Amino acid sequence: MQFLTDTKIDFMRYRSALTVVSVALIAAGLLYVFVLGKLNIGIDFAGGTQVRLQFQEQPDLDRVRSVLNEAGFPSALIQRLGEVEANEVLIRTATVEGSEEGSSDALLEAIDQTFNSGLEAATDINRQGSDAVARLLSRLDPEGFGAQDPGVIEVPEAYQTAADAILDLRRRDGMIKTWDDLEGIDGISPAILGSLKENTHIGDLAILAVENVGPQIGNELKQRGIWAVALSLLGMLGYIWLRFELRFGVGAVVAIFHDVAITLGLYAFGGYEFNVTTIAAFLTLVGYSVNDTVVVFDRVRENMRRYRREPLVKLLNTSINQTLSRTIMTSGTTLLVVLTLFLFGGDVLRGFAFILLIGIVVGTYSSIYVASPVVLLWEKYFGREARIERAKAR
Amino acid sequence: MKQSLISRGVLILAITAIAVFMAFPPSVKVKRGLDLQGGMHLVLEVKTDDAIRSETNHDADTLLERLAEDKELPGLTAQRPSKGDADVARFTVSGVPSDRGADVRAIYKKFLQDRWDLAQNGADFVFAMRDSVERKLRDEAVGQARRTIRNRIDQYGVSEPVIQRQGFADSDRLVLQLPGVEDPERVKSLIGRTAFLEWKLAIYPRGGGFSLSREDVLANLGGSIPADVEILEGVQRDLNGNDIGTQYVAVERRPVITGRDLKTARVGPGQFNEPVVIFVLDYQKGQEFGEMTKNNIGRGMAVVLDNRVLTAPTINGQIFEQGNIQGSFDPEEAADLATSLKSGALPAEITFLEERTVGPSLGQDSVEQGLRAGLLGAGLVVVAMLIIYLLAGVNAILVLTLNIVFVFGALAAFGATLTLPGIAGIILTIGMAVDANVLIFERIREELRAGRTVKAAVASGFGKALSSIIDANVTTLIAAVFLFQFGTGPIRGFAVTLSIGILASVFTAVFVSRWVFDLWLSRNQRVERLYI
Repeated sequence: MQFLTDTKIDFMRYRSALTVVSVALIAAGLLYVFVLGKLNIGIDFAGGTQVRLQFQEQPDLDRVRSVLNEAGFPSALIQRLGEVEANEVLIRTATVEGSEEGSSDALLEAIDQTFNSGLEAATDINRQGSDAVARLLSRLDPEGFGAQDPGVIEVPEAYQTAADAILDLRRRDGMIKTWDDLEGIDGISPAILGSLKENTHIGDLAILAVENVGPQIGNELKQRGIWAVALSLLGMLGYIWLRFELRFGVGAVVAIFHDVAITLGLYAFGGYEFNVTTIAAFLTLVGYSVNDTVVVFDRVRENMRRYRREPLVKLLNTSINQTLSRTIMTSGTTLLVVLTLFLFGGDVLRGFAFILLIGIVVGTYSSIYVASPVVLLWEKYFGREARIERAKAR
Repeated sequence: MKQSLISRGVLILAITAIAVFMAFPPSVKVKRGLDLQGGMHLVLEVKTDDAIRSETNHDADTLLERLAEDKELPGLTAQRPSKGDADVARFTVSGVPSDRGADVRAIYKKFLQDRWDLAQNGADFVFAMRDSVERKLRDEAVGQARRTIRNRIDQYGVSEPVIQRQGFADSDRLVLQLPGVEDPERVKSLIGRTAFLEWKLAIYPRGGGFSLSREDVLANLGGSIPADVEILEGVQRDLNGNDIGTQYVAVERRPVITGRDLKTARVGPGQFNEPVVIFVLDYQKGQEFGEMTKNNIGRGMAVVLDNRVLTAPTINGQIFEQGNIQGSFDPEEAADLATSLKSGALPAEITFLEERTVGPSLGQDSVEQGLRAGLLGAGLVVVAMLIIYLLAGVNAILVLTLNIVFVFGALAAFGATLTLPGIAGIILTIGMAVDANVLIFERIREELRAGRTVKAAVASGFGKALSSIIDANVTTLIAAVFLFQFGTGPIRGFAVTLSIGILASVFTAVFVSRWVFDLWLSRNQRVERLYI
């Protein structure tokens, strides 16, 4: 199937009107992020603690807030994650003033005190690793393999198997809800189950993830992020400068700026968290945007050699038309995979996919309507003819 | 032509075979990051200032002791660094009588000269540690901390832990990767505990046990704390092991024995079958301990761990090498204490600068979601390519498959880690991998429309698309390289898969695709139509 072949769209004709749109979007994005300060900076850069919890029952978020308030985290950000029935909650707090470490321990303790009943039992099978459970079982020895000296850490295989089975269950469901979950599971004999029921308890909440980033690390990550962005931009510019003329380089840079500014604005507007992964996403976006622009410019360069007499506007138009089906095709396939990533890749990668989703659309647009018009503008004011005009005027 | 077709085919097959061999089965061969398999990532800082300060104190003590004993110059004091001071490698002995400066210098020459610089300022003698010595001490402290932590981790039982110094050789930081660790609080307390154990003779209550108030202890000391005495706190526990308050005991500052004198420690059953920590001293210390306990029967002795009193029992009889510590422990606590005692004390405090723990279920979810999104994305791309490029689309499928095989092969071959962003990188390259093919196919179509023969169109399509392909991919590669350079673990995973994906896509498009076209064309000398 062939499409968009031999198109003769006069892209450059609409450039002034669309420039207004682009400038307005860029201004809106920059205003939103930098003037209104609406970017949601994650703990990677701001430092702080982020905890992801799963509860047996949907917790009352107001209660969570008041508990954290009392524990000394008045500005904690608390939100539900995923579907309501998943009972997942994300808690984020800033670093406690003067501390070098995160505060997950204090935070979790406060939550446990209120929401985790039965804390007096030493072992919570929703919290302890399989090794700890296996050791506990060998101490209790429900199968009667013989008395275990508490100093010996040799665990009979049956207990390790049982503990691993519990872990597998947690891996699958996130947490164990009732003792019935363990009924009839391979490796968990009635004797073991009985002993577990008696000596351990099923915690009311499971810790899915904990992140502590001290202020020092936050600052370093910030520095490194800035360096990564600055150096890769310089690197790409250097390459374009080496391979193309200056005016094309300028066109590509303005296109990058355009794409990043608009995407950043929408990203902030979507409320996504700005973290280390975000930097990676933006750099990928920059690479993609340049990629798209370069393909058009490559064709312009080729056409310039072939049709020396043609005016630049016409060459640009021809080149964009010639590469149009490729541009649409590549953007299309990449958009397809990014869309699946956005929809099905899970919430850790959603922000990442969002940037590329927006970025690909904006980047494709900009390789046509930003990069090329800038080349024309440059030509108009700094090009050969402009120089000749100026020389005449003098 | 035939010859080249065969040799190129063999080369492609060989590379594919190597990649498959390397990567299969990926669940075993490709290392998964902690974000995918669950586990704990820690960055901790060894407070090497502690180690320097303790060395400074030790040498200041030596100097004063030698002055008192060898030169009969007692009663001098040294101003030393205390906790929180910036300059820990300096101490000042002041109030030296003007005619005794030579004695101080003599002792300095004999004991400290190789490591300390001395400057005199009137009656003040200022000792400053040499930079090289300080650097070496810091380095040793980090090295020792690393070994100690390694020991503790090994005894705790973590499979394939990674413990290394972060960044430069003179860094005070250690990075720990502990796959499968699910109980972060416990691991942190096990690693982070200094585990400096001391036995100190009790001053008040002299017969063992605690006092419930600090004021009571102070009053019994006569209102002020003598220089060689200190008041320590301990946790008071009820019969079930719950904390119910703080209790106090005054002890001699100088310990009788310390954790350094231990040969080993383990958990054992106590009198009532409760868990206790059994320790064994080395022979020499055991004899000294025996002598000391004999002389102090009936007196209390505090067992102090990291400046907190665990227990303050009464000495009931002579104890030689072996004894036990009863601290109303629960079994895990006892095991952890024995572990940290056996592995030795940390040379300095540590702080956890960064911690990222991923539970078992989240990692599993991530893998499943990534896999689902990847398969679906690849399927959609394949369908799109087939619809638009017909038979040539089949080629794109081959290229995509090879691309994924190469990415996994390279990951396994370089021992790189697959992370969640890394999966995103692979999915992304699935979309981008067809780009090079698209560039080529579109170019071939153009040439065909321009009326060239199939053969010529293919040749010039590949030729002309090449410069675009290179330019377009180099720029993305540049971004990936700097991301790798500056990124942290998961992001590096992304940079790696993206780079490998880009390289593989260029290879498959330019080399493999070309080979497929040539093979197709060589079967029929006069191909009139290309299903593209």
